[in-house]
Amino acid sequence: MHGFEIADSIQTATEDVLQVEEGSLYPALQRMLLKAWLRGEWGKTDENRRARYYTLTAEGRKQLQSEIERYGRVSQAIARILDPV
Amino acid sequence: MRGREFLGRIRYLFRRGEAARDLREEMHLHIELRARKLRERGLGDDAEFAARRQFGNRGTYADKSSEIWGWAVWERIVQDFRMGARSLRKTPGFTVVAVLTLAVGLGMNTAVYSVVNAVMLRQLPYARPGQLVSLWEEHPKGHDNFNSHGDTLNKSGGAGALARTTVSVANIADYSGSQPIAQMASFDMANMNLTGAGVPERVAGEAVSANFFSVLGVTPVRGRDFRTEDDSPDAAPVVMISYDFWQGRLGGDTQVLDRSVMLDGRPRRIAGVLPRGFQSPSELAEGAASEFYVPAAYSKEQLQSRGDHDAGVVARLKPGVAIRRAQADLKVVQARLARQYPGTNKEMYPVIGPLRDDVVKGAGTALWALLGASGLLVLITCVNVANLLLVRATGRRRESSVRLAMGASRMRLVRLFLAESLLLAAAGCAAGMLLGTLLTRALIALAPAGIPRLESTTMDWTVFAFAASIAIVTGVIFGIAPAWQASQTKPVEALKTAARSSGNKTQLRWRASLTIVEVGLSLVLLVGAGLLLRSFAVVMKVDLGFQPDHILAMNINLPELRYPAAGLRLRFFETLESRVRALAGVQSVAYANRMPMRGSWRSGFQLDGNPDELKADFQAIGPGYFETFGIALVGGRVLTAHDREGQPPVAVVNQAFGRILLNGHDPMGHAFLYRDDARVEIVGVVSDIRRGGKTALVLPEVYLSAAQTKLYPVHIADFAVRTSGNPLQLANAIRQEVLGIDKDQPITNVHSMGEIVDTSVAQRRFQMLLLALFAAVAAALAVIGIYGVLSYSVAQRTGELGIRIALGANPRGIAGMVMRQAGKLILAGLAVGLVGALVLTRFLESLLFQLQSTDWPTYVCAASALALAAGAAALVPAIRSARVDPIVALRDE
Repeated sequence: MHGFEIADSIQTATEDVLQVEEGSLYPALQRMLLKAWLRGEWGKTDENRRARYYTLTAEGRKQLQSEIERYGRVSQAIARILDPV
Repeated sequence: MRGREFLGRIRYLFRRGEAARDLREEMHLHIELRARKLRERGLGDDAEFAARRQFGNRGTYADKSSEIWGWAVWERIVQDFRMGARSLRKTPGFTVVAVLTLAVGLGMNTAVYSVVNAVMLRQLPYARPGQLVSLWEEHPKGHDNFNSHGDTLNKSGGAGALARTTVSVANIADYSGSQPIAQMASFDMANMNLTGAGVPERVAGEAVSANFFSVLGVTPVRGRDFRTEDDSPDAAPVVMISYDFWQGRLGGDTQVLDRSVMLDGRPRRIAGVLPRGFQSPSELAEGAASEFYVPAAYSKEQLQSRGDHDAGVVARLKPGVAIRRAQADLKVVQARLARQYPGTNKEMYPVIGPLRDDVVKGAGTALWALLGASGLLVLITCVNVANLLLVRATGRRRESSVRLAMGASRMRLVRLFLAESLLLAAAGCAAGMLLGTLLTRALIALAPAGIPRLESTTMDWTVFAFAASIAIVTGVIFGIAPAWQASQTKPVEALKTAARSSGNKTQLRWRASLTIVEVGLSLVLLVGAGLLLRSFAVVMKVDLGFQPDHILAMNINLPELRYPAAGLRLRFFETLESRVRALAGVQSVAYANRMPMRGSWRSGFQLDGNPDELKADFQAIGPGYFETFGIALVGGRVLTAHDREGQPPVAVVNQAFGRILLNGHDPMGHAFLYRDDARVEIVGVVSDIRRGGKTALVLPEVYLSAAQTKLYPVHIADFAVRTSGNPLQLANAIRQEVLGIDKDQPITNVHSMGEIVDTSVAQRRFQMLLLALFAAVAAALAVIGIYGVLSYSVAQRTGELGIRIALGANPRGIAGMVMRQAGKLILAGLAVGLVGALVLTRFLESLLFQLQSTDWPTYVCAASALALAAGAAALVPAIRSARVDPIVALRDE
């Protein structure tokens, strides 16, 4: 996916709940490129426009996995606080 | 991981232009696609704008993205400087004026600093110079029961003050036994007649102890150092020659060690040649080259004598020993000597200090004062440039506002302005260094003789570092005000109002206070220069008591080896006198052991059978002395050729003798006991002179007849003639007469008396001129500053003034208003300056002669001169304000 597709898909997936300036995506992408979690490759869109397509690297996938786990733990913890049995 | 990240950063560094383009393209595409999507949702023409708003500030995100790669800080600094350079290039007039102003300030400062560095700060050219100390002896004034080369002339302070003198040879042995001292060497002046190589010549040299060179850590490049056995009156005479002596006088002869030189009629074997450029401590201090060194070879009597203080002393402390500890240890030695030899050592205290302080001597105060003055000058140039920058910043408020509106942070704006002023400072520094190099050369060329180590002044890295750091500091100082101003810009207001009328109250207040500071600083310099000027005028007005014009003076030193008896020496001078008197243009001839301006010789005597010893300056003179120097006879008679050996001993005294030693009674008819109880009758009184020069005190003087050789068997060496024409034209004729009597006899120090008097005030004149130059530059800058502020404020108020005039205001009243504004600035500046001057000129006190640093006429003169100049500068904008044409002014609005 290229930058706009990423932003747009987030927006669609969250049904506009997460409202952030779309530009803030780009520093984040740069940071992940630097850490080599993403690979950026230039390609052409359907309309023959030049665009950078981002794909996860193996390392990025590992990082994603650990972030998801961490998020899971945190959100479980929050859920337990909000909903004491 | 880390390594790869680092590699990534490096790769980015080399393709960051491309990366930035890529990012722009991505963002552009993003917004375009979003806009299209929004349009599809039916937003129509607003779609583009909505897409942009949804995206946020593109510039900010681009910045943030590139920041990730870690080069943003550097990039921005480079960018700041590049932008600064661009904007400076766009206003060449401003840039040139600012750089030149800075160059003047920094250049003068650099020049003075490079001299200070060479004279006072740089280490002495010896091995481990930090361990080297000089040793003196101090004694309460008025107890000077001995002769010395020391600086015992009362300069200031009365009883109770300590006088400093060179050291007694016998004491040196005791002092050098002190535990913290590794080695101690002595030295003394020993000028000798060099003969056997062309024209006989008097050559400057020193008599030193055998360990002198090893204490300084110097080894001869040829031959050997002195040995202990050389240092005895019975030893075969040797000499150590300077490199220049070897190269210049001996033609660099490779067989130099097989040669001897004839000094004072005695052949001396050359023991060694000193390294090129070697200078002894006294050479460094006096600035005159010593060409040779002979062993001191003290006689048995000298080694026993604790009353004669002849020797300069340099010592090396043991490693790691502090001067304070060595001083404490010497105190113990002194206490022992005081018990053992109460007659000579009871009130004789050894003191040590860094050798460097000794070399610098009196030059220190003046140089620090000049450095301080040039520092003030740098501050003034800073203030001036800051003022210029403020004007410029005002004109650029629109630019600043646009930058702020486009998302630049205030910090970024401050940095941008600072980068500009640092660029200015760097350019100013470079130009200043160039100017400084020229000024340094001029300083050295114009400086009077006697400033130690002055000729070693160079632009070394310390000078460069000093200039560079001053430049950076000044860059920040003068950059900070406009930078702060710019960062305070309120973009909406600034963009609303036109750029021209945008000067605000704060800005004007800044400029006004800068101008006040500038006026104040230049008043400080003006007062300082004024004090030196007045003090110099006082010095010049001092009556020497003798007429220095039309006198030619010289030294003729007869070597003891060829003129062992006083009678022989007297005969030489009597013959010379009669020969020279026969020359055309000669009015009278004088010879003496000490002429005016050439030191004095204090001695003790008993007056009228009173056993208390009194002190006076003694000299032995030839019969033509008073006539030649124009010293008036007040009572009795002068000394004549008939006052010879065998006749009753007589003396002539000066008026101060009666005033000071006889409670104001006439000295005529009194008699005193002198030397081996010879009874000397006072037969005449002459007018007072200032022997030591314009700033010296008038002391009791006794003149003895040189022909009564037993009475005062000193070496006569000073010779002078009064001429009807230009005295210097007679120099050659006199030299011929001297060579006619003795073909091996040189004459030296040939000067007109006028030159000698001139030289004695040369340092004063130089200090005064230099400070006056600084003050003039400072005052000019301050006047320009006042003019600038007022012109600016008038230009700003053109509209207002136009309305006033249109409504019938009197142009005279308008001009008065501007002048009142100027008056406020000037008065405030003068007030600041007066306080500053009162505090700062105290450091000039020791340079002033018979003048307090609080001398109010100087303050009044300086302040009114500055006020007048500044007022005149204010007149131009005031007149302009009165001539404002309301139609033109209002049309402009």
